Amino acid sequence: MSIRVLNPNAEVLNKSSALHMNINAARGLQDVLKTNLGPKGTIKMLVGGAGDIKITKDGNTLLKEMQIQNPTAIMIARTAVAQDDTSGDGTTSTVLFIGELMKQSERCIGEGMHPRVLVDGFDIAKRATLEFLERFKTPVVMGDAPDKEILKMVARTTLRTKLYETLADQLTDIVVNAVLCIRKHDEPIDLFMVEIMHMRHKFDVDTRLVEGLVLDHGSRHPDMKRRVENCYILTCNVSLEYDKSEINAGFFYSNAEQRENMVAAERRQVDERVQKIIELKNKVCSGTDKNFVVINQKGIDPPSLDLLARAGIVALRRAKRRNMERLVLACGGEAVNSVEGLTEDSLGWAGLVYEHVLGEEKYTFVENVKNPHSCTILIKGPNDHTIAQIKDAVRDGLRSVKNTIEDEAVVLGAGAFEVAARQHLITNVKKTVQGRAQLGVEAFADALLVVPKTLAENSGLDTQDVIIALTGEHDRGNVVGLNQQTGEPIDPRMEGIFDNYSVKRQIINSGPVIASQLLLVDEVIRAGRNMRKPS
Amino acid sequence: MREIVTIQVGDFANYIGSHFWNFQDELLGLAEDPHGDSIFRSSSLNMDVLYRTGETHQGIPTYNPRLISIGLQGSLGSLSSTGSLYTSDPDPSDIITWSGNVSRYASEPQQKNLFLQTLYEEQTGPSAVSNDADVVSPTLQREVHDKDRVECLEKGVQYWTDFSKVQYHPRSLYELHSSWTDVKQFDNYGTGKDVLSEGLQGEEMNERMRLFVEECDHVQGIQFILDDSGGFSGVAAEYLENIADEYTNTPVLLYTVRDPHAYIHAKSQKDSITRSLHDAVSFSTLSSYCKLMVPIGLPSLSRSKLSSTLHVEDQKLFHCSAVYAAALHSISIPFRMDMRGPTVNTAYVSGAVDVGGIIQMLAGQGRQNMVATLDVAMPAPSLTGSILRSLNSLTPEVEEDVDDSQALESLITHGMLHAGRRASLSEVNDSIVAAYDCEMSKPKFSHASVSLCPLPIPLPFPSIFRSCVGRQGELLETPTEMTQTKGSLDIDSIPMAARLRSSRAVMPLIMKRLENLRKFGMQRGALGGGLLQNWGFGREEIEDMGEVMAKMVMQLDPHSQGSSGSDWD
Ligand SMILES: Nc1ncnc2c1ncn2[C@@H]1O[C@H](COP(=O)(O)OP(=O)(O)O)[C@@H](O)[C@H]1O
Ligand SMILES: [Mg+2]
Repeated sequence: MSIRVLNPNAEVLNKSSALHMNINAARGLQDVLKTNLGPKGTIKMLVGGAGDIKITKDGNTLLKEMQIQNPTAIMIARTAVAQDDTSGDGTTSTVLFIGELMKQSERCIGEGMHPRVLVDGFDIAKRATLEFLERFKTPVVMGDAPDKEILKMVARTTLRTKLYETLADQLTDIVVNAVLCIRKHDEPIDLFMVEIMHMRHKFDVDTRLVEGLVLDHGSRHPDMKRRVENCYILTCNVSLEYDKSEINAGFFYSNAEQRENMVAAERRQVDERVQKIIELKNKVCSGTDKNFVVINQKGIDPPSLDLLARAGIVALRRAKRRNMERLVLACGGEAVNSVEGLTEDSLGWAGLVYEHVLGEEKYTFVENVKNPHSCTILIKGPNDHTIAQIKDAVRDGLRSVKNTIEDEAVVLGAGAFEVAARQHLITNVKKTVQGRAQLGVEAFADALLVVPKTLAENSGLDTQDVIIALTGEHDRGNVVGLNQQTGEPIDPRMEGIFDNYSVKRQIINSGPVIASQLLLVDEVIRAGRNMRKPS
Repeated sequence: MREIVTIQVGDFANYIGSHFWNFQDELLGLAEDPHGDSIFRSSSLNMDVLYRTGETHQGIPTYNPRLISIGLQGSLGSLSSTGSLYTSDPDPSDIITWSGNVSRYASEPQQKNLFLQTLYEEQTGPSAVSNDADVVSPTLQREVHDKDRVECLEKGVQYWTDFSKVQYHPRSLYELHSSWTDVKQFDNYGTGKDVLSEGLQGEEMNERMRLFVEECDHVQGIQFILDDSGGFSGVAAEYLENIADEYTNTPVLLYTVRDPHAYIHAKSQKDSITRSLHDAVSFSTLSSYCKLMVPIGLPSLSRSKLSSTLHVEDQKLFHCSAVYAAALHSISIPFRMDMRGPTVNTAYVSGAVDVGGIIQMLAGQGRQNMVATLDVAMPAPSLTGSILRSLNSLTPEVEEDVDDSQALESLITHGMLHAGRRASLSEVNDSIVAAYDCEMSKPKFSHASVSLCPLPIPLPFPSIFRSCVGRQGELLETPTEMTQTKGSLDIDSIPMAARLRSSRAVMPLIMKRLENLRKFGMQRGALGGGLLQNWGFGREEIEDMGEVMAKMVMQLDPHSQGSSGSDWD
């Protein structure tokens, strides 16, 4: 959209200028993204040429909006975006870490060090840091009833980096409850089973968790009820519209009568299907106050709607494919592909189904379900870009909860891990390394500090002072992070600032891989080619 | 009523669509104009087939194309993708989700051209009234004004939105985000596939489709216009695959369109192989996801037979797309004739047939050939000449004047003239019968649809008519003394004839793709093998593609056996 980075397509001429180009590209990207980091970061509003607005506090979204043309910057951006795809967070940190590794390298290379030696040092440091992370992480036991408090703290930490506190805190409970709702013991968590739905609403910013499902369409018959209680739910994928059937080769209707006959025959088949549904409805509902709702993935044409309406059935057509699965998880029953041999066992149940209309948009709420394993997060916002930003944040929140459950661990945030890991590398690891690779370990260690430094910078604090305070406190044997209000060291545990273990792990892993490729320029060219298509 | 969903994918497809919807918008306006030609008020053409009714949150009724248009980010020019119709937010730049710092990055605003500016003023009502000291007659002022508007479009159209007078639904325009892919590299099947795999873009496109279809009581078909010269082929193939899955019985009529730039010679051998393989792969893949395919887009309209009535500047997409859009409009006429069975006619239309019907007619009987050619007469001659002789092909790479007794065709005419007035249905139908009678070789099957309603020429239509074309589209025997071309200010409407034809004429087009796939993709050590792999195709898939095309050739000519080294090149 509107942010350009660096000169496009600079041709690689020789090794050393290529190296400098790489370093500049990495630092250029770092400069754009660094103000994003943490709860004191800057939100960015991007206005397109036609006035379209996007807002984002997210490194991932921001990168995707940037017109990056420099191949090195593209490579870094791809790595960072891949970071988000796999672990759901940490894009900004990845870019900063790569940028800082390059900045440290520039200094060393300026002092005559060979890139190869530096890369060897990175490699040692990386392995040592990953080992350290194993010891440093805080294990979380995930039994039948996961520790909800810790889940909330992780979610809140993430959400507060994207939304202002009150809104973030409101969402914290929502995302935790949503993940716990869909979680099944000993099965991987499928976040697609949390539907994220939005409504545009003038001045309102509001988000709520619906235990059940919200569909973005309603019934299409004027006589169908807009609100029904005690409902059987039939989830199906059955065509209830007249399709002109395939006609044999060489044949084309020669007269109207022939055509009318075909239409009639086809119509009868559709009517029979509708009749089967009505029969089941009568069987399970007659004489009770129960209702019957059909939610169909295929179409339902007006004659079929008429029949269903007359039988007192509420029917929705063209449901999302994924909602077939969600409905069953929310309401029970099964998704059927045919109405042959339909029985009560196939039906789900919802206490309440009602429609909400906003202009031409209709929403159907399927609520008061018994034991839901699918749910909906409903976001209200005044415009598309606000909704989009909240959606992104919700996705981040959901990922952080899922990660915590699957990692069975978290990592202390606010720079605590980075400070501790850096001190570990300098005091324990460096001395075990032979020769100049030591400098590589040191460069890596210092690069880790980019996180607390940037957090400090974004709070308007003096980075030098902060780092001295933090390392000092650390060396006195305490685990310390940065209080962004005061610049004082704090214990992130007390403040409930936790990051995801898998996210940290991936940052540590991928950062030096890319940095090394950028330093060993010959390999860069090869790597670059791998990542793009030959044209 | 049976609805059509229109899908436009790619830049040139959107150029064509832009003109297409301008025609529809003009028809809507004329239908309500008490002073206009009465034929537009009683055309017996049902616009609801192409348009949807809706309502904003404020309860204001809306009427918009039932359309999904897909282009690359930045291809909408000064038009915002969500439009202005449904937005009511008092202050969109107010950030309510963050209490910390905000930084703003604004792109250079896209300037609206004079045409769009005046359009906008018309919609919002005249702004500040100019000083009433000059008493200029309002009609004169308007004429001067219109002339400027037409001229500004002739001088510079950069985006398809520059000449669009239509209001689109906020769900209609979708900009594909291709993070960090150079637009220039978005030129082959592979890149298109990659783009969709980014984030939730494919899903969003499918969702938009679902929401439009959900509103419909009974979709008759999908009219799909695709610029298949580059990456959009890959995008469309994925889209079509989902459509085939989700709306299995809904027929898809696919127009693959190309602008003249697609024919510029390749820079290198590698480029040329890439292009050949792209053409083969996209043709074969796309054919498997639709029911009827109509390739259109000549390398040069100015050097085609149409140049006797039209003066098209080939390098202007604004010009060429207008011709193709007119043809597509004609083809769509029978789909919206008030349908009460094929034998029920009114005084205004005859030969109604729906999308499925046309497809069944051309591809579902006889040889089952699913690749049709499109011919057009623009404007169509008066009934004294043969309509059939006046048609010119808009399909490239075909064998001209092929003699094929197995051909199947569907002819559409609308607004035909006879002796200086509009011809009646029976006059037109008689003349069509007579024209077929005169032909030496007759097609095996032909169908005719006739409407009295001509093609209206809206203001943003380019000035591409030669001086021999009159105000009603009649061909003047003594052309007016005008060396310049004529445009929307000189011509109100024109009669049109268009024909879809299934015949052996498409053999060279298919053979070329088949041979290229064999030569560059299948033979041992083929130069493009790695490329196809990169696009994600395995050996077997490539063989299947060859198979698909060989079968097509076989159907058209059982003796050829789809053999290589044929004499079609
Ligand atoms: N309350 C807090 N105080 C200090 N640091 C915090 C706080 N909350 C989160 N952080 C830190 O902010 C960083 C994450 O910032 P974020 O903007 O989400 O970037 P990323 O895209 O890298 O995840 C982490 O290092 C995290 O520990
Ligand atoms: Mg984060």
